[in-house]
Amino acid sequence: MPLVEIRNLTKEFSKGDEKIRPLNDVDLTIEEKDFLSLMGASGTGKSTLMNLLTGIDRPTSGQIVVNGTDITKLSRGRLADWRAANIGYIFQTHNLIPVLTAYENVELPLLLLPMSSAERRKRVEIALEAVDLSDRADHYPRQLSGGQEQRVGIARAIVANPTIVVGDEPTGNLDTRTAEQILELVERLNVELGMTLFVVTHDPKVASVAARRLHLDDGRLIEMVDGHPAFTHDAVQRSA
Amino acid sequence: MFRFTPYVLKSLWRHRARTVLTVSGAAVALFVFCVIGAVQGGLESLTRQSQADQTLVVFQENRFCPASSRLPEDYARTITKIPGVKDVVPIKVLTNNCRASLDVVVFNGLPPEKLRVARDLNLLSGNWTEFENRTDAALAGQAVAHRRNLKVGQKFTMGEVTVTIVGLFTSSVTAEENFLYTHLDFLQRAPGRNTVGAVTQFEVLLADNANPDATAGAIDAKFRSGPVATTTRTKGVFQRETLSDLAELVGFAHWLGYACVGLVLSLVATTTVMAVQDRIKEHGVLQTLGVRPTRVFRLVLAESLLQSLAGGFLGIGLGLLLLGWWGFSIGTEGVTITFQPSLGLAVSGAVVSAVVGVLAGLAPGYQAARTQIVAALRQA
Repeated sequence: MPLVEIRNLTKEFSKGDEKIRPLNDVDLTIEEKDFLSLMGASGTGKSTLMNLLTGIDRPTSGQIVVNGTDITKLSRGRLADWRAANIGYIFQTHNLIPVLTAYENVELPLLLLPMSSAERRKRVEIALEAVDLSDRADHYPRQLSGGQEQRVGIARAIVANPTIVVGDEPTGNLDTRTAEQILELVERLNVELGMTLFVVTHDPKVASVAARRLHLDDGRLIEMVDGHPAFTHDAVQRSA
Repeated sequence: MFRFTPYVLKSLWRHRARTVLTVSGAAVALFVFCVIGAVQGGLESLTRQSQADQTLVVFQENRFCPASSRLPEDYARTITKIPGVKDVVPIKVLTNNCRASLDVVVFNGLPPEKLRVARDLNLLSGNWTEFENRTDAALAGQAVAHRRNLKVGQKFTMGEVTVTIVGLFTSSVTAEENFLYTHLDFLQRAPGRNTVGAVTQFEVLLADNANPDATAGAIDAKFRSGPVATTTRTKGVFQRETLSDLAELVGFAHWLGYACVGLVLSLVATTTVMAVQDRIKEHGVLQTLGVRPTRVFRLVLAESLLQSLAGGFLGIGLGLLLLGWWGFSIGTEGVTITFQPSLGLAVSGAVVSAVVGVLAGLAPGYQAARTQIVAALRQA
């Protein structure tokens, strides 16, 4: 059974009198330890797909089954619990809590899980070590560089050992050199730690690191092989 | 349960100027609440004391100020013979101010041998023998002694009356602690007074089985055709009527107390709403990480509650400290109300702070919990 199975997913917005459908009857499966990148022009629905996959938005129709759980049927509270245990989220703008230290920011997702304080401490230390920031544990976000903030964000995303780690333009706000370092780190998460990754990006360089490359265009999800469309993941294509 | 405490405390600390101002505002309001509560407490304890219903006060008819009530001292002999009367204590009252005042000084002149029986006084310093043997001796209540910085051995002058303080006392009736007790004949002979043979009032101690109203009626009937007619009431009624103007003011102040509570409510609610609006994105991030909406609600509620409680404890603490230290009282026509700080007042202040904190956090907490995550994350 695939780790994630998205079936007939549709999302529709109303903008005034106009109906916008960024995702139209999309299908997608993600296997354990997959590394997927999702590209597409602005406004094509990349972030919408990621938001639906992480359960922070609701689809108009369709199913998202993760590890056997259809998350579209969960209540808001249950969905939050599910996210705490299953999703690691790397934001484009880091989104660290400014009043908490790097250590406390990384610890935050673990506070939501049943765990002893000793276990929490151990996991936070390992996560900070994995992003090479053990020496910045007591620093506040304002005392860190952009790259360091993003690394804390990555540590926070992986600390609970989630089912899937998603990244929303994880290098989008960084200079080229720092972006390369972050990219290398993200790649390590998949190769060395065997984490399942789903990254939304504009940057072909970031996309090229992923083993599976998806392109979203006009509501259709296209899987690319060697830079060319291989097949689509949407119902329109399937019925054509 | 308390895993998010550092987050709550640090969030409050992040906007410390706002937090400090809110806490200060709540503290001032709760301080006022505390002072009003203390005045009310003093008034209630004065009119509900055990003596209030079993002791009668005989005053000159149609007179309200102690300066204008003059009863012949020998009325005591007649009153003693009335059935139900256990003892009669003639009292000469001399006050520096018949109107409402925060620093009223009241001399009560009693026969020294009767003072120990009629009043439940506990000497903190000095001794009874010296009081009984020395004609200009005075015992000072600790409240007035504290206000006027009176010490044993010191002379104290009010107008033309000069006494020597020979003892300081506390009393089971806190209002008594605003009085200075002297010898009756000393006050009657005070320079410029010439009131020998006259007293301000009689306190009539009743037998256990006596009917206060019937006895009061009998006393007034006895003197209706005498040289000076009397009005006799129970001590509680006498004090209530004497303090009626003040009691009305205290009753009005009661509403000010509620206004203070409303003030804290709007202050803390405003601050919490601002804090929530400043952190819409942060609440979106928390929920993305897996924090339940109900927990976000509780976090906001905790911030609101902490600010209200901090202000409450500060205001109540300062209030109790100041009231306890200064021994404030307000008096009129020789009767005083002591501002009475108490544990009950502290507890009710803390409860009010807690309830206000929770109420103030409800709407902002709900708003934070209902944050649409995607829209929140899009905020700059």
